[in-house]
Amino acid sequence: MECAFAITGKDFVLIASDMSAGRSIIQMKSNENKITPVGPNLAMACGGEPGDTSRFADYVDRNLRLYHIRNNFPLPPPSAASWVRRILAESIRSRSPYAVNVLLGGFDTTTSKPHLYWLDYLGTKADIPYAAQGVGMYVTLSTMDKWWYENIERREALDVLNKCVDEVKKRVTIKFDFNCVLIDKDGVHSLDLKSQDPIAELEAKVAAMKPSDPEPIIPSSDAPAIAAA
Amino acid sequence: MEYNGGSVVAMIGKDCVAIASDLRLGQQSVGVAMNFDKVFPVNDKLYYGLPGLATDVYTLREQLRFRVNMYRMKEEREITPKTFTHLVSSTLYEKRFGPYFIEPVVAGLPSPTELDPHPKPFISTMDTIGCITTPKDFAVAGTASNKLFGVAEGLWEPDLEPEDLFETISQTLLNAVDRDALSGWGAIVHVITHDKVITRQLRARMD
Amino acid sequence: MARRYDSRTTIFSPEGRLYQVEYAMEAISHAGTVLAVLSKEGIAIAAEKKVTGKLLDLSLAPGGEGMGGEGAEAWMGGGGEKIFLLNNNILAGLAGITSDANSLVNFARNRAQQYLFSYNEDIPVELLVQRLCDMKQGYTQFGGLRPFGVSLIYIGWDALYGFQLYQSDPSGNYSGWKATCIGANHSSATSLLKQDYKDDLSLEDAKSLCLKTMSKTMDSIKLSSEKLEFATMTLHPETGQPLAKIYRPSELDELLRTLELGGTKEEQIGVGEGTGGGGGGEGNVAMST
Repeated sequence: MECAFAITGKDFVLIASDMSAGRSIIQMKSNENKITPVGPNLAMACGGEPGDTSRFADYVDRNLRLYHIRNNFPLPPPSAASWVRRILAESIRSRSPYAVNVLLGGFDTTTSKPHLYWLDYLGTKADIPYAAQGVGMYVTLSTMDKWWYENIERREALDVLNKCVDEVKKRVTIKFDFNCVLIDKDGVHSLDLKSQDPIAELEAKVAAMKPSDPEPIIPSSDAPAIAAA
Repeated sequence: MEYNGGSVVAMIGKDCVAIASDLRLGQQSVGVAMNFDKVFPVNDKLYYGLPGLATDVYTLREQLRFRVNMYRMKEEREITPKTFTHLVSSTLYEKRFGPYFIEPVVAGLPSPTELDPHPKPFISTMDTIGCITTPKDFAVAGTASNKLFGVAEGLWEPDLEPEDLFETISQTLLNAVDRDALSGWGAIVHVITHDKVITRQLRARMD
Repeated sequence: MARRYDSRTTIFSPEGRLYQVEYAMEAISHAGTVLAVLSKEGIAIAAEKKVTGKLLDLSLAPGGEGMGGEGAEAWMGGGGEKIFLLNNNILAGLAGITSDANSLVNFARNRAQQYLFSYNEDIPVELLVQRLCDMKQGYTQFGGLRPFGVSLIYIGWDALYGFQLYQSDPSGNYSGWKATCIGANHSSATSLLKQDYKDDLSLEDAKSLCLKTMSKTMDSIKLSSEKLEFATMTLHPETGQPLAKIYRPSELDELLRTLELGGTKEEQIGVGEGTGGGGGGEGNVAMST
């Protein structure tokens, strides 16, 4: 039982996902991170069969990194999405398919455009400005339909995201905790949804980091750490 | 077929053909995207539509693009609508015992050759494993196909000029998908004539 | 002594050389010249065609007035004998053994399409060059095979690095250039290019430099479409997408006339005349273009 949603804005993508792990009606963990950075400016929220999700995220991450190392540049988001789709489409017709649903968000540094892709376990791909996966789909899509607009700014987008979180809390019987990342030209950043102004915190962090840390050419395995809340 | 929804229709006119699809991508009853075009160009005289399971729409599209590109470079000419139909058909039959859930529709204008200086406009359609039919009037496929049959039967007439054909195919598609919960959310129409392709996006009921 | 190390591509000679690879390169230095010039606005490539005599039936072969074209038309084999479209965004000029070249072109086109299939994006230029060179390298190492007798010049565009110009040889080495040349007289052509190349060339300058150097390199003074193939890679003014243009013979003659390099058709050219290569080339012109 999972719930993830994502919003694109002017020059960024926000992805939020629940952090619950368990079986049937029992929750065993409430701080399981389900959002994996899979490139310097690319992150993926995976839902579905628990074992498959982490295996799949790892497989994608390692392959995209291999591409980065071999070719000295990362695969841009549209191509990465096409590649992930191909993996899922080939997997569904194989003997052991991955049962994972994916939200893939990224910022294309060559064209300076944000991208968001909705992918399901069959290999269906949709290129859309806002998306939801799992049980959240039924309540958050309409929330985003109402509040999202083109070229939305960071704080406004985060407001929409919080509205979605509230909606899930209000309408879905299962209790969820959420974590969230923001992807922009500077990379993948984790946002603390409980903080008063996560965007200001992020801006301060990026400003403090920038002069001394030029963007690493090859992402180190622990680079954009999304600490488990 | 009913998992993602979507419909395609093609019609023959006088020295022109038209092909149109809706733009919905759903996951059963939930609408996911309203920009999911199911009609793709091969060249400016030949288009094809792939209604059905969305993952197979992409897979088949990419497969066909690969094969057409190689055909074009090796043969040093454009593929004809008839040859393309057989290419699609054999691509589908390759997966005879685990088929792509797609019912393709092909629409094209063959270019005049020495042997056939006045070729007729061409449309064709297939089932999921590539059995070809080449109607002389119109071809329909997708979740609204039963409704499309009815409306097209009533509206289509022989030898329509490009603008009239556009009106006929647009009305056929819009009115058919309005009665189908799994198709709609906008539509796109291409009318192929000898000197140009007219492409228009249509607004439809967005519910 | 050399005999013992000749027949195997995979064995080093005592001096540490691979003779078969060197012989392949030698074969290419007799082949028709291919020359390309890079500019910020696009790339020009010219290739010398060998004239093989009047009995050769070219009526169905590419190379007539039907050849060439822009964009989608270039797909359909602009195909002369020397310049090929490898993908939407990449053209190549080949020097060496034609049959080897055809097989390489086919391989390259397949790999480019495979990339498009996986990533839904045109293959970056250097990646395709790498793919070809990986294969060429393989033939210098594995037993019982001979290396490809082909050098290539690749011109292309991708979103990451813009316009690029590469050259590769039978050993599988490749390198990027601002202007380069392969085939007959390549060293003299390269030094000419070195003299005349400037960093701020326009596309028109690049075209003219390309053809002028070509005219100095080839034996005959007057150039014409009968002996030359020409192509450019630019960006489409409206869509910003890469646009390959393989010149039709009439277009090329027109261009040559404006540059005052010829362009008029000469009288029948006999075999051996204007073949450019330094001696020895005439015997097997049909094989080595």
